[in-house]
Amino acid sequence: MANLGPRRLTKELAKISNSLPPGITLVSADNLEEWFLDIQVLDQNPIYAGETYRLKFKFSTSYPIEPPEVTFVKLDTRPIPMHPHIYSNGIICLDLLGSQGWSPVQNVESVCMSIQSMLTGNTKNERPPGDEEFVRGNRLRPRDIDFYYHDNTV
Amino acid sequence: MGKDVEKSTKLKEDGNHHFQSGDYIGAESLYSKAIIADDTNPSLYTNRAMARIRLGLYESAIADCNECLKLSGSKGNLKAYFVLSQCQLSIHDYDAALESALQAHRLCVETNDKSLGPVTNQVLRCKKERWEEMEKQRAREGQELEREVIGLLERERDDMIGSCDNDFDRDQVKQEWDHKIEVLRLTFEKSRAASEKKREVPDWVIDDISFGIMVDPVITKTGKSYERASIMEHLRRHPTDPLTREPLHPSELRPNLQLKEACQEFLDQNGWAVDW
Repeated sequence: MANLGPRRLTKELAKISNSLPPGITLVSADNLEEWFLDIQVLDQNPIYAGETYRLKFKFSTSYPIEPPEVTFVKLDTRPIPMHPHIYSNGIICLDLLGSQGWSPVQNVESVCMSIQSMLTGNTKNERPPGDEEFVRGNRLRPRDIDFYYHDNTV
Repeated sequence: MGKDVEKSTKLKEDGNHHFQSGDYIGAESLYSKAIIADDTNPSLYTNRAMARIRLGLYESAIADCNECLKLSGSKGNLKAYFVLSQCQLSIHDYDAALESALQAHRLCVETNDKSLGPVTNQVLRCKKERWEEMEKQRAREGQELEREVIGLLERERDDMIGSCDNDFDRDQVKQEWDHKIEVLRLTFEKSRAASEKKREVPDWVIDDISFGIMVDPVITKTGKSYERASIMEHLRRHPTDPLTREPLHPSELRPNLQLKEACQEFLDQNGWAVDW
């Protein structure tokens, strides 16, 4: 359907401007292409305690039929969280965000919650294998990377 | 009339060029010439209707749509109904506009046409504008009634004041009646506020893909319903159920008639919800 994206994003924005689950806050949404949200891990996971992380959502015109591009961004007060599925350049390896795992019933709020719970459940204070090499060499957009989900227990 | 298909096609193509470059007067006259060359081609009439809409000539655009529908016979014509609905909306014939939009929607579903999205939006637009018109009328009637009743009270008050024989009584009577009038005004005011406040959209009317109100909900194997236009758009690229990711083919979708009726009823009473 033509113009599905802008209409739906306008409505999503209206909804999340009103209320979001604990630990998720809307930072800015100046247009319908790029939004920023902050997330925190609420339980006492020592890896993430006291930190706030910033997520960047980029929407294409075919959203929500196609997934948004979601990455962590690094700022002075916003580090990239340690996680075996999160590269140090902010790229997140999560099946939900790939073309195959995405579903149009997902939305900004549900994606944030998935990432939040991905952090909550993590016990390994480490980067994905080959992080340095990947970060140096990668020129692809996140959605075009064919991630190898090497460890589904994380 | 004579029939020169070749000449007519050439004129139509010329008309299309003029239309695309924004010259609707030129396009309209070329389509007219094309119709003179061949008056049996339905699409010439819808093309001319499109040009006439741009020129604000709604009545003659409607005539073109009807001519096209006559030529198309029992199989109907999606474009003619769609354009017709736009014309009827422009001249504030809301019921007819909705009826035409629904015909277009029906044909769209039957022929699996790609314009299901825009046609669904047209149905919603008709419903919204019809509701707004009814609201305006309701508000106008309410205001008229209020003015009338207050007028009656004021006349009654003045009669009573006139029959008093001293200033003290006159003052008493005036205060008493002014109070009554004020209470009445507040009562009207309160009822207006209440009808504007109850503006909440329940989740069950919302399609989880477009976040819009459902016009033609269809249900999947999982028991979840989506707007037909949205789920079709999704299935075109990924033939899977949005919830379970199991394979899902368009032929497995079923209309959800009860939900459709419920959504219709909700919209009839809450036309504003089209752009909540």
